[in-house]
Amino acid sequence: MATKSEASLNLDLDLLHRLKSTEPPVWLAPRAELSETARKASKIIFSYLRTYAPKSPLDQLLIEGFDAEQIWQQIDLQSQPLLSSLKREVKKFEKKPEEIGKIREVLEGEKKVVESVGKVLEGERRVLAEESDDFDEDLDDGLDDDDEEEEEEEGSEGEEEKKGKGGAEGGIEDEFLKINELQEYLEEDEAREYGLKKDSNDSRKKGGRRVLDNEEDEDEDEEDEDEEELGVFGDSDDNEEEDEHRQKLENAGYEDFFGSKRKKAPKKNLKSIEELEEDSGLDDEEDEDEAVETKKNDNLSTHEKQSEQLRAEIEKMEKANLDPKTWTMQGEVTAAQRPKNSALEVDLDFQHNVRPAPVITEEFTASLEEMIKKRIIEGQFDDVEKAASLPSKAPRELKELDENKSKKGLAEVYEEEYVQKTNPAAAPLTFSDEQKKEASMLFKKLCLKLDALSHFHFTPKPVIEDMSIQANVPALAMEEIAPVAVSDAAMLAPEEVFAGRGDVKEEAELTKAERKRRRASKKRKFKAEATKRMTAKKARDNTLLNDNDGKEE
Amino acid sequence: MQSSMDVETVPSQLQNESGSLPPKPLFEPLKAHEMSDGRVQFRKVNVPPHRYSPLKKIWMEIYTPIYEQMKIDIRMNLKARRVELKTRADTPDISNLQKCADFVHAFMLGFDVIDAIALLRLDELYIESFEIKDVKTLRGEHLSRAIGRLSGKGGKTKFAIENATKTRIVIADSKIHILGSFANIKIARDSLCSLILGSPAGKVYSKLRAVTARLAERF
Repeated sequence: MATKSEASLNLDLDLLHRLKSTEPPVWLAPRAELSETARKASKIIFSYLRTYAPKSPLDQLLIEGFDAEQIWQQIDLQSQPLLSSLKREVKKFEKKPEEIGKIREVLEGEKKVVESVGKVLEGERRVLAEESDDFDEDLDDGLDDDDEEEEEEEGSEGEEEKKGKGGAEGGIEDEFLKINELQEYLEEDEAREYGLKKDSNDSRKKGGRRVLDNEEDEDEDEEDEDEEELGVFGDSDDNEEEDEHRQKLENAGYEDFFGSKRKKAPKKNLKSIEELEEDSGLDDEEDEDEAVETKKNDNLSTHEKQSEQLRAEIEKMEKANLDPKTWTMQGEVTAAQRPKNSALEVDLDFQHNVRPAPVITEEFTASLEEMIKKRIIEGQFDDVEKAASLPSKAPRELKELDENKSKKGLAEVYEEEYVQKTNPAAAPLTFSDEQKKEASMLFKKLCLKLDALSHFHFTPKPVIEDMSIQANVPALAMEEIAPVAVSDAAMLAPEEVFAGRGDVKEEAELTKAERKRRRASKKRKFKAEATKRMTAKKARDNTLLNDNDGKEE
Repeated sequence: MQSSMDVETVPSQLQNESGSLPPKPLFEPLKAHEMSDGRVQFRKVNVPPHRYSPLKKIWMEIYTPIYEQMKIDIRMNLKARRVELKTRADTPDISNLQKCADFVHAFMLGFDVIDAIALLRLDELYIESFEIKDVKTLRGEHLSRAIGRLSGKGGKTKFAIENATKTRIVIADSKIHILGSFANIKIARDSLCSLILGSPAGKVYSKLRAVTARLAERF
């Protein structure tokens, strides 16, 4: 195994040498042979690391037909778990520096190899360091390119370290990594961190990376070369830090591991580590109580964790209960009692007593118009009609004031009244009854005339013999009613039209003798009448005189 | 005779205290001529000059019912311009004379015979007379206008009142005579008074209507 590795190492060296020897400008243009060598070299390195990363899914780096991106991905696949295990190892070494002593012996065997490789790598790293100087000011977390490159290098470094350790991987707990020790370490660290935290709390409250990083920079500046940056920080590192850290690892001395003179250094380192750790993942817990912080161990059982959570909940709720309630929970709240515009933020539920305005759509208007048209056609207008008041009793007969001289004497009036009172049946017809009778007669006559006009086959009503009828009308007129406009004049015979003797002469036609005769007859008539009147008058006077004489006697 | 009879009966009663009383005497009602001790009663009615010629025309209509039915003697005194009435032996009722006198008097006032005849036939009819100046003092044209208001155009207002109240009204210059029953006279008098006082005819009509309707309903 060792010889094989040595042989492959030598191959590697050759390849790497070749890679290294090419001038930087050559790299700018893509060249097949360069890429080929690079690929091979990475494959070999991958195979080396395979032994230390048993969990990686790939047995070897596949390079035929894969592009750069895919190769990087494969390397990543292997190196990620590798890096985390390396971190753990390094932490363990920090805790127990005596372990490193054991490794040293193992390492010595391969020290030469390490050194040679280290030198080669150092040269490359220097190149990278120049590049990474540009990123000094950059405080962003994941600079993927750099990380990848560094990972590759780190992978190789880790490999060295791991080799020194004896390849003790697999199983969480081993001589280097003990959970109890880890727990104790964490506790100590937190205590330290808490002590330090008070000083730096104000400045750290923002939780901004910038602040943190400044602090880190300060720390770094203070203990420049002597800082022992632990392990590899994938996300939140300054590249400058990392470089220094790597250099220190390479040239690790006794003081670095067992820094008795500078005990603050590891503490401060730890502090900064802790800060970074917390910062990377645990921002929220910064403001919690110390008690809570002390129990952030992973060694708690699930039950304890649950009870812890419950307790935290209970604390929170009790605190909420003690505080004054929010305004939404306070019942009736006027505008003065709540912050400005707070009602807008809360989703209030209240009844709208206003009927929502009807949405006027085309269908709505169309339906309305339909109804209107229908109503107009029907003539149903919903007019307010006066309710006809039912006559509760028969309307009183309004006595019409007769403004004519009454034809009846007063005695007759009273007589009639008396008769009506005593014997209503025998009472003669009143004026109103007579009027009614007359009206009915008139109407009958009118109806008869109208029927005659309107019927083609008119049959007159049978004439009822009535004593009162004395119409001096020719019989033809009575019986025959012509439906056509035929005047009655034609129906009468000439004798009926003019009744008189023959020779009728006008004044102008008369002869003198005839005129004389007429005058003589007139005179005779006049005289006869005169004498008649005279005799009548005389008779009256005589009677009066006789009476008076009689009375006087 | 009567008094002597009364005297005689009293002692007889005193004598027969112990015995039964004699039967009460039955007296026939007095006849008209017996009332005033068999003497004849007269009534005289003056004839105003404006009623003289109408009287002459209507004389027979007055004479016949008085003489035939009321059995009162009636004659016209031409010299004195009077109508004189006298009871006869067979006058049935003493009130006939008075009725006839009232009848003739009514005619003299200006009423028609047919209206005045009602006095003969009905007992409850009366004549009320009053003057316009009793109601309101009016002079000159106001008086003339009042008279005009009372009569109305062609007498229609007067006739309306007559017909509505079953009375007869005579307006003679300033004098007004109303013939009718007591209540009717009152209504007519009220209407006429309101007319004299100046209310228009329409108002009087409406009041008349209401009152007569009420009167009619009562019976």
